[in-house]
Amino acid sequence: MVHQKPFEIAFIFFGFYGKSKQLFVYYVHAEERGGHMGIIEVENLTKDYGFKRGVFGISFKIKKGEAYGFLGPNGAGKTTAIRHLIGFSKPDSGKARIFGLDSFKHYSEILDRVGYIPGEISLPQGITGYEFIDMMKKMRKVRDDSRVEKLIELFELDPSGDTKRMSFGNKRKLAIVVALMHDPEILILDEPTSGLDPVMQEAFMQLLKKERRRGKTILLSTHIFSEVETLCDRVSIIKNGYIVDEFPMSKLKYAEDKLYKITFGSSGEANELRARLEDNSIWICERQEGDTLYIQVNDRNINEFLSILKDYNVRLFSHEKLTLEEYFMQYYLDDVEFKGVSHG
Amino acid sequence: MADIRLNEVTKDYGHERGVFNLDFEIKKGEIFGFVGPNGAGKTTTIRQIMGFIKPSAGSIEIRGLDAYSDATETKNYIGYIPGEIAFPDLSTGHAFISSQAEFWKLKDLSFADELVKILQIDLSANPRKMSKGMKQKTAVIAALMNDSEILILDEPTTGLDPLMRKHFLDILEREKAKGKTIFISSNIFQELEELCDRVALIKDGRIIDIAVMEDIRNPKKREYKIEFLEKDDFESFRKLPYEFIRIKDDQNQVIIKIDVNNTGKLIRDLSEHRIKFISENKYSLEKYFKEKFDQFEEGAEDD
Repeated sequence: MVHQKPFEIAFIFFGFYGKSKQLFVYYVHAEERGGHMGIIEVENLTKDYGFKRGVFGISFKIKKGEAYGFLGPNGAGKTTAIRHLIGFSKPDSGKARIFGLDSFKHYSEILDRVGYIPGEISLPQGITGYEFIDMMKKMRKVRDDSRVEKLIELFELDPSGDTKRMSFGNKRKLAIVVALMHDPEILILDEPTSGLDPVMQEAFMQLLKKERRRGKTILLSTHIFSEVETLCDRVSIIKNGYIVDEFPMSKLKYAEDKLYKITFGSSGEANELRARLEDNSIWICERQEGDTLYIQVNDRNINEFLSILKDYNVRLFSHEKLTLEEYFMQYYLDDVEFKGVSHG
Repeated sequence: MADIRLNEVTKDYGHERGVFNLDFEIKKGEIFGFVGPNGAGKTTTIRQIMGFIKPSAGSIEIRGLDAYSDATETKNYIGYIPGEIAFPDLSTGHAFISSQAEFWKLKDLSFADELVKILQIDLSANPRKMSKGMKQKTAVIAALMNDSEILILDEPTTGLDPLMRKHFLDILEREKAKGKTIFISSNIFQELEELCDRVALIKDGRIIDIAVMEDIRNPKKREYKIEFLEKDDFESFRKLPYEFIRIKDDQNQVIIKIDVNNTGKLIRDLSEHRIKFISENKYSLEKYFKEKFDQFEEGAEDD
């Protein structure tokens, strides 16, 4: 099959910037109608499995070199979105593209340049781990064994056994080795650490950090918030097939509105400061627990706040950072009613 | 009297596998966490507490009863979630829950009903064909429905998504409030951090340390990151006698460690400098165990 060139110059544009004359060349993909391009793109993707299952008009873009986190409970649509990106499923409508190529049409080219770890691993049976690795090496045209060997060593994988009898953890390790051995530019990871013990989880996360530093683009779907916190630049939260939020991790890491938990020498002191602060609109006294106040202060008011606080006997001063988990849970407070045991 | 007491328990499988000289007790109403890599001995310990296997040396007491020889009797007090869940060949989850209720001679299923609602589980499926998460939820209901006073939970949140994990941990908080004694193993530090009173770290069959969570939640020393607005403020603060963990000249930023008794002084010193922000580098169970782990490894190398 002959495919179109991935990049075509759609138009060239001359412009002025500031005082100096500069030439701007915008390379725009033929399929793109302008706009900024991501190495991974999902555009208005809908796949309706009925019973409200699937994804419904989701869009996101991941830039080259970016690590992007995908958070949501089981059944929210994370794996559905990923399977469309990998080209395993055809969208009802909308687009999924990698390297500007339509995922469904070009899935074999895409898989050559993408490392994919599926959420549920099913391996061909009746072969050993070594045979599986050799099979995948041929498929991915891997000629140099050194990377494969390094990965096997790093994850302490013993591929000599039959794939059928492998433990869950070993299957997972095998999937990781096979996904990374051709040194792909993009990593698409669907709950990659499930089944790994904490030491191996840590080893895997260290490896991902290294890959990111090498400029790899990463899409990480996970249930473990700390993995997203350590690795990802941006995060999206998926609920019932919709992306309900997308934000940079810096929004949480470096939030300018900070909540401080401050414990005073006595509850009298806490009462007094609380009364004094109520006259002000630049900080919010969220609640009081005896001698302790929870006060939200924006960074731009911190000096004024400290100059008031210095006259009190402050015993403890804590900064209560909003965790990714707490942030995530805000989207999931409503509950679905299910039938009980005796009504079943 | 302790609810669970391990007296110098060793189970030696040879080739350095097993557990060695475990000696600790869990008080009534205490939530005791158990963390360590796979193969460290978590499940071996739990199976001895359950009386499935006999220690090579030492003994385990459950409320004064011997865990192994009185195993039938101790089951009256214990709700258990195994690490690897295998269901009997029954057609539906309902049938399994009913058979468990019969085993406990349990008439009132209202608590089980409540758990089904919280965990949002459909029990009409065949338990052997359930997904990992569904199996886990079914096992949770079977373990908790009898309102047992001691809960032994072997990695109970495996396979649960974040939402279900949260619901499950909320359930455990409620059980804790009821005064239950809970022994829980996990791979996830964060979930033990919030729930547990104490957490033991096990490696290669040996307890490396038992952390008291209160000391980790409210440490005596705190780390703060402070960035100053101007170079002058930064330079002037640097001259003060604080323990500086890190100094970033280009950003006018410092990380300091102080004893909590000096908090008031820090606030007064900061009020004389113009700062851009102050944030805290929180201490965590993970950081604590990393320190202990490194000490342990260094100690091992010295041998």
